[in-house]
Amino acid sequence: MVRFKNRWLLVELIPCPSTSTTSALDASAPEGSAIESKNIWSALKQSVIANFGDVGWGAVSSSLTIKYYSPTTNVCIIRVARDHHQTAWAGVTLLTSIEGRKYVPNVVHVSGTIKQAQLAAIAHNREVIARYRANRLQAAAYQDSYEEFLQQSTQVLEALQD
Amino acid sequence: MYIDLNVPVPTITDGAPMPSKKSKGKQPQQQQKPAILFTPAQISAIEARIDLLVYLGYTVLAFNQNVQKRVDPKSHVNTLDPLLLQLRKRSGVAYLKRLTIVLNEESEKGFGLTTSNAALFTPYDLIALLPTTAGSFSLACQSHTTPSPLTAHIICLPLTSPRLPFNLKHTMVRTALRNGAVFEISYAGALGAESDASTSAAGSSEGGASAKRNWWAAAREVVRVTKGKGIIVTGGVLSQADLRAPRDIGNLITVLGLPQNQAHDAATKTPQSLIARAQTRRTYRAVFSEPTVIIPAVTAETSSQATIPEGAASSQGQPAATPTVGNGEAQKAHNKKRSRSEDDGGAQQSADVPADAPPTQPEREKEGAQRKKKKAKSSANLPAQ
Repeated sequence: MVRFKNRWLLVELIPCPSTSTTSALDASAPEGSAIESKNIWSALKQSVIANFGDVGWGAVSSSLTIKYYSPTTNVCIIRVARDHHQTAWAGVTLLTSIEGRKYVPNVVHVSGTIKQAQLAAIAHNREVIARYRANRLQAAAYQDSYEEFLQQSTQVLEALQD
Repeated sequence: MYIDLNVPVPTITDGAPMPSKKSKGKQPQQQQKPAILFTPAQISAIEARIDLLVYLGYTVLAFNQNVQKRVDPKSHVNTLDPLLLQLRKRSGVAYLKRLTIVLNEESEKGFGLTTSNAALFTPYDLIALLPTTAGSFSLACQSHTTPSPLTAHIICLPLTSPRLPFNLKHTMVRTALRNGAVFEISYAGALGAESDASTSAAGSSEGGASAKRNWWAAAREVVRVTKGKGIIVTGGVLSQADLRAPRDIGNLITVLGLPQNQAHDAATKTPQSLIARAQTRRTYRAVFSEPTVIIPAVTAETSSQATIPEGAASSQGQPAATPTVGNGEAQKAHNKKRSRSEDDGGAQQSADVPADAPPTQPEREKEGAQRKKKKAKSSANLPAQ
């Protein structure tokens, strides 16, 4: 039985502010159009071709898919074949900009099953929301729009399939 | 715990004119130096970078001050001490101070890393050398890595310069590694990022495709020559956009041919033991344990037993890299005292001392002579994992 093994990368794309004095973590939503999964895919393709050439892209491309992207928390889930996941991971690390805007790619979690990637993404979303809430310094029981976002994103994440 | 040992700090140029070097007689005048202050804009830029570094998972950061060619005792200013005073306190993050000296042909005659200037170097936790010529490279590897208050523990190489200017000779690299130095790979070059002024002075091409290509070639060469053993990866990035998380960098290094565990160690274990080793600059010739004088008498048996727990206790605070070393030294100290005080012939050299741990080599030679001298106990101040 030769199974096709994958790696699921949970990548957080931290948008970089244009000025160097503000922290990237406090940056609000980038102005202009938000990016989509296909922008990420093409940026990643450019990065892999520039750094690893056609050989690298050929190895990675057949299995590279962007499974999920959320503009609110800047989290995306990428699926790659296990044999070439290091090439794809290096391509992600060497990404500097998507659609002209600068990002810092931060791979939060790598797993072999989609289940673990879902759990990691849900946990990460909760942390990010907690950080937003802490910055706003509001009472814990205050119902805000984040709650709805959390539920929605949890549903979308759990609906992900291989 | 992830460690980044190269967070560059913008160089501060003094507004006041420095006294000319010709006026050697006017010593008192040169003592006054204007206080170094970072502007609020610079401070907030540095704070923002630290925020991002902490978010990405780094807990130990070393701020880097660059000096070109040589350290001039008259004009050298420590810009890191005032910087650390101005930064916000963060719990769980440790700040270290590091000095990088860029060496070129003129530095081969001497660049200020001498015992007469030792007072300049004590505030820095780490000293690094960046040789750009073959002569300065051999000088750095062979003479400046031996344990002393002036050891340079980090050897960085200008990885983005076209065609690394010298061959990394295997024998010299091995000497440096056996003395405890490490070689630094800074990942700023892989991203084509604008890195420190130090590397640009070394003649590298900034940005552009050629800088990246040179980086891959040179970094691969470093990995090959060191066989992956004494390597640390560091940042060296000036802007926030080029920072990367530690495990991402670990994966990038595996592309250079390092196995995964060594790549992970390059950001964790190796810099950790390096920092502990760098603290030996405060000791004499890298001896850790504090010895006691044993008066040969009937009570020598019990008092020499007491030295083992003391020797072991002084190394309790050390990170995992050195406990066997500390015990080995205490064991040898015990054995030497026993053979001196009592001739029972039962003293056997303990065989479990790792042969390549740097502090034991000079310690074995000098231990007998130094026993009567007072040595500082080194205490590790790193946050525990």
